[in-house]
Amino acid sequence: MQLMPFWGCMIPLKYPQMESAVRFTMEKLNVDLIDDNRLSCCPDPIYFKAGDKMKWLILAARNISIAEEKGLDLITMCSGCTATLCEVNHHLKEDASLKKEVNKKLKEIGREYKGTVEVRHLVTVLRDDIGLKKIRDSVKVPLEDVKVAIHYGCHLLKPSAIMKVEDPLTPTILAELIKATGAVPVDHKEYLMCCGKACKDVDISLNMTRAVFESVEESGADCLGLICPTCFDSFDIGQLRISRHFQKDFQIPVIYYFQLLALAQGATIEKVGIPYHKIMPKSFIEKLQPEPIMA
Amino acid sequence: MKKVNYEFRDKLNTVLGGFAHNYCYQCGACVGDCPAHRFLPEFNPRKIMLQAIYGLEEDLLGPDSLIWNCTNCYNCYERCPQEVHPIEVIIALKNMTREKGTQSPTVENILQRVNEKGVTVISTEMIKKRRAELGLPEYKLEGKEEIEKIMNS
Repeated sequence: MQLMPFWGCMIPLKYPQMESAVRFTMEKLNVDLIDDNRLSCCPDPIYFKAGDKMKWLILAARNISIAEEKGLDLITMCSGCTATLCEVNHHLKEDASLKKEVNKKLKEIGREYKGTVEVRHLVTVLRDDIGLKKIRDSVKVPLEDVKVAIHYGCHLLKPSAIMKVEDPLTPTILAELIKATGAVPVDHKEYLMCCGKACKDVDISLNMTRAVFESVEESGADCLGLICPTCFDSFDIGQLRISRHFQKDFQIPVIYYFQLLALAQGATIEKVGIPYHKIMPKSFIEKLQPEPIMA
Repeated sequence: MKKVNYEFRDKLNTVLGGFAHNYCYQCGACVGDCPAHRFLPEFNPRKIMLQAIYGLEEDLLGPDSLIWNCTNCYNCYERCPQEVHPIEVIIALKNMTREKGTQSPTVENILQRVNEKGVTVISTEMIKKRRAELGLPEYKLEGKEEIEKIMNS
């Protein structure tokens, strides 16, 4: 299977361990990633879209047109990129006059958006195309001792009419994918909460993130598992800020789903960049990799 | 007594995503599930839609506007029975602040970074080193002139 990965900005330029983990897992699942260095910022669905929605549409359409050139679906690994590219793809497929307006601008750089490919988050490819069985079969070291509280984040599932992943109130996709690694998904009450990244008032973000940490603590999970580098940012480095602000030392390691999968497939903790995380208790590292394994 | 500012509403109607505010019948379905409202009760998407219906330009586009506390979570988009998509109206309002000069500095930074670099995150020596440690190729972006051309058209 061939896919065009859309790495975005945060993964390659802030959390390259996520890129490393994705590349490792895709190799194990016999997926060819056809990279293209012309893919830019998606552009970001929060600030860029709030500044100039028309240019946001045009730049996103430019990115999609690159995948169209090669006839490949564009696959995202960040919920923000998923939000922008899925939404723009949807609107341009539905709205002929908007598409015409966007294409007028793209013509100036010799491009055209046609509407011939799909944009999807990689986790939906795992669930729908590769399948849970094949994922389970690729696991060498089931992570049986690892209890994972899930954070879905906002933009994988919503707006549901556009994302078409599943009902955003009762999602199961990440629980199923975590089970496939041998790890145990753990319920917690704030699993559908937002990470709070976009709010201007710092108190909202701090309290929102704290609510998630308290919920994870209460659940008895070992870590918080997620699929978005922006959520990761809020919960990993953000945890230092929360602990300082509320005078409470949270020690909840945060892990990107593909890091878990890669570890289960035999990657070392170094290969998936676990040592780069700000919050990474030694006891959790031992759970992830009880003994050294050659990748 | 408040008077409806139709001029402002007419303008909002022309911004992408702005027109749907006309369909709001103030049911409040958007409020109950709004995480920003839960942690800051003054932030209320129903009230923001009401301000849009009245055309209260200063409240919405002024420097102290609450619109910047939207989490962008899309719960209101899911709940709204009228397909107002309050988040998209809020984004339309945010787009309008640029003309007024009251936009968030973060918005301006991000636009500028994309214009200059094509991405929002600036590469650092530490990340270059990490990429090498992880066995990843050096990050490269081609076609920046295309992005610049779109940004400045």
